[in-house]
Amino acid sequence: MDAGAIVTVPLFILVLYVFLGAFLLRAAYLVRLVRAGRASNRTGDLPVRTAREVVGVLGQSKLFLRPIPGVMHLLLFWGFLVLLPTIAMSFLGAMNRHWTIPWLGEQGWFVLMVDLFAVGVLVGVAIAFTIRLGLRPVRFVGSYLQVAYNILLFEASITITLFLWHGSQVALGINEFPPEWAPVSNAVAGLLSSAPVPALEGFERGVVWVHALLILAFLVYIPYTKHLHTLVVWFNVFFERTRARGRLEPLVFDDPAVPEDQIRFGLATIADMTWKQMVDDMTCTECGRCQDACPAFFTGKNLSPKLVVMGLRDQLYREGHAMLAAAAGPAGPIFQGQPLVPTAVADDTVWDCVTCGACVRECPVGIEHIDHIVDLRRNLVMVDSRFPAEGATMLRDLERTSNPWGRSQTERTDWAAGLDLRVLEPGDPAPDVLFWVGCAPAFDERARIGAISTARLLKEAGVDFAILGPRESCTGDPARRMGDEYTFQSLARQNVETLGESKITKIVTTCPHCFNTIANEYPDFGGHYEVVHHTQLLAELVRDGRLAPAAGTDGVTYHDSCYLARHNDVRAEPRELVAAVGRPIEMARREERTFCCGAGGAHMWLEERGGQINEERAREATATGAGTLAVACPFCTVMLDDGVQGIGSGLVVKDVATLLVEAVDRGRALPEVRPDP
Amino acid sequence: MATTLVLVTTSAGVADEVALQALALGRRLAAGGPVHALVIADEAAATGLGAWGATEVHLARHAELGSPAPDAVARILHDLALRLEAGIVVGPGTEAGNTILARAAARANLPFAANCVDVTIGDPLTVTRLRWGGSLLEEAAIHAGPAMLTVAPHVIAATPTGGVAAVAPFTPELDEADLAVRVVDRIAAAAGGVTLAEAKVVVSGGRGVGSADGFGPIEELAALLGAAVGCSRAVTISGWRSHTAQVGQTGTKIAPNLYIACGISGATQHMAGAKGAKKLLAVNKDAEAPIMSAADYAVIGDLHQVVPAISAEIRRVRGA
Repeated sequence: MDAGAIVTVPLFILVLYVFLGAFLLRAAYLVRLVRAGRASNRTGDLPVRTAREVVGVLGQSKLFLRPIPGVMHLLLFWGFLVLLPTIAMSFLGAMNRHWTIPWLGEQGWFVLMVDLFAVGVLVGVAIAFTIRLGLRPVRFVGSYLQVAYNILLFEASITITLFLWHGSQVALGINEFPPEWAPVSNAVAGLLSSAPVPALEGFERGVVWVHALLILAFLVYIPYTKHLHTLVVWFNVFFERTRARGRLEPLVFDDPAVPEDQIRFGLATIADMTWKQMVDDMTCTECGRCQDACPAFFTGKNLSPKLVVMGLRDQLYREGHAMLAAAAGPAGPIFQGQPLVPTAVADDTVWDCVTCGACVRECPVGIEHIDHIVDLRRNLVMVDSRFPAEGATMLRDLERTSNPWGRSQTERTDWAAGLDLRVLEPGDPAPDVLFWVGCAPAFDERARIGAISTARLLKEAGVDFAILGPRESCTGDPARRMGDEYTFQSLARQNVETLGESKITKIVTTCPHCFNTIANEYPDFGGHYEVVHHTQLLAELVRDGRLAPAAGTDGVTYHDSCYLARHNDVRAEPRELVAAVGRPIEMARREERTFCCGAGGAHMWLEERGGQINEERAREATATGAGTLAVACPFCTVMLDDGVQGIGSGLVVKDVATLLVEAVDRGRALPEVRPDP
Repeated sequence: MATTLVLVTTSAGVADEVALQALALGRRLAAGGPVHALVIADEAAATGLGAWGATEVHLARHAELGSPAPDAVARILHDLALRLEAGIVVGPGTEAGNTILARAAARANLPFAANCVDVTIGDPLTVTRLRWGGSLLEEAAIHAGPAMLTVAPHVIAATPTGGVAAVAPFTPELDEADLAVRVVDRIAAAAGGVTLAEAKVVVSGGRGVGSADGFGPIEELAALLGAAVGCSRAVTISGWRSHTAQVGQTGTKIAPNLYIACGISGATQHMAGAKGAKKLLAVNKDAEAPIMSAADYAVIGDLHQVVPAISAEIRRVRGA
């Protein structure tokens, strides 16, 4: 050890202690916050979670939905992964110019990778600045732009000082790595070599210290900024929901094991956040991909999913210390958090959401926005009784008449007049399949056409099915998405009981909302069934030759329902049917990245502010040049038919089942081909 | 046998119907014991209460009691209950009655059972009451006394007894704080004729009207009939009329004797707000429109011709 090390080693250890200490203090605060979060069950499914880490985080799959920002992020992400060992090397080098990581510090291949990936980081920073300062996409509006610039400048200066340090080492001949493997560092050395040796020696010392100090300062800065995502995204993606994406976590009201003061009524203050919601908020990179995909934002409403998450995060950080002090024990101060609505999120914003899930689908870091928004609604509805007045009618009608339009349950079978369907009475033998009709098809003139078509096709194919008639109640989906968990749970329990009494094992429904609720949410209330959407069952019947459609020649564009295509992965079967009835033409926003009709999240019963989501979608469908807009959801039928009329388009909106009836009729009208006798 | 005190709300010299029903319940619960009635300011109403079963009538007189003041009445009721050592305090399950009893119970730090349909004397006293807008009945026991409750409207019949009761006027003690909630001013509803929700006749236009200006004939017909003008959701979305005119699930619920729906297809969302109409006349070009199945009368035709023709005929008949 040379004499200088007697000073530099303790000095560097002191510096390390200060910076690392500052980082760990902040990190400990964040960890304590998450540990104080309310329960959220995220266990099991280890293989799926591991696969997501590989594909989603290491492979950056969602980032590549946008190629240029995807390349930019890949360069930065993999650049810093590869450069990680150089952090330790620079710390050692700062203490003694001959020190490095044994073996690795001497490898040519490693230093080559460092040079290449460091150049990649600089390119990535340049692209990022070009996007942010040159292109200025809308998705960054409201993000903390200066913080983002600071982060990029940190990254650039850390990389540049790395090159200067390596270059000065080569110029002095004190490098442990073979310089011919380090083209950029070697070129920098060429620029420096004309300087006198003492100046170069001083420069080498100075630049390695600047490099190390920049790294340490960045480390302290990270947990105060959106760059925290680099540390927590691993957890957030790992703990994303693995199975039913459309399922909401139930609130537990009547479990004797849960003490009354522990019952959660959604989100009132930060103290009600689940730990997953906290990690969600901490992980947000403010990239705005959610906002770009959001139909509410697109049509000029208040809601931006990004700003919701940012608002909640900022309030969590602001009030977290007070919350933790109160949680420390009964002797501590009482936590008096500001209500999240309207402090972090405005009232209107909470009600703009159609729960379509486009934001969740786009988010590269595993944030589950719907859970936040529905929890905010739950508190507003169940505790504050503060929600759009027109929604109250729907909730009251659900309680009173078990359907959202306040119609009499005795009218539930009116739609089936003349169809001669079996209405299942208590004690009747269970059918092979129960046709769960749903309220919209039962009561709405336009929505019922799809149900009538489905019933006709099931009869044609000889399927043994029955309906519940007046014993069917709303599944509770609109109440639940509105935040009225009480009403939802009472309807859910009632329906599970009815289905259990009739020993139902398999259910078909035309409504993706009923589908989602029965398949994904009723298991939480003891209802376990095989649930299929009518497009799935009908596609199977066509495949098996039990239905024989003859395809027409007209162009048909298919609108994916959010609760079918995105929340439940049913995308192939409706397309099979569309191909069997006409000439398919796809819209740009389709399948998992479809655009809502505007009815989800109880919006069938709420007034829409700003532009009309359904008209936006109707315009997109009209632009395809198709004559028919095929749908597979009763809400989409009504909303898009309204949208088509609103914009004065000539498009005809029909359920896929109705198109199939026409195609089967067409098939029957064709002359039979008989072999010559 | 508990002393029973009944709050009898009145308007212009007449006891409220539901208050007389509360008095009937009070009489039944007193089981022959004294039935005290409290009347605020209204002497004419107080004198007749003996005929409905009150045995003693207390008439509170105070300069500030000319108009509704729920906190003040709650205090008077509470003070009187204490003075009489009442075991049960009953009020009418109306908005006014529930407001006053809730405040009185809060003053006394007692539980309050609203909208009772049945009461059984005992220890504890038990009540059956309406919850959730009448969709369920709750059985509850009241462990504290006096029992504070209101009776749900129209479940217990008010029965005259033909008795006579003395009216004892008194001046209640009231502080400034008791009068914090009171009527300070009355403003008549803005002019503009009948409100949509209460109109006896409503004339509405839908998408078929075609434009904001297209509402001229509809407004003309409405004026002739003394009707309110409504519209469908498609109209408010198009910005032709304000949301306050919207009839439907997410707009106003109407219950007119006659509803004239012009150029409205009759979507579920609209019909949910119009189902209270006693008679529905539909004017529509499309004979297949869903509204036809709900209509009592229908004119298949263009509203731009049909509606002016109706107006013209009304004028002709009236000779104007």
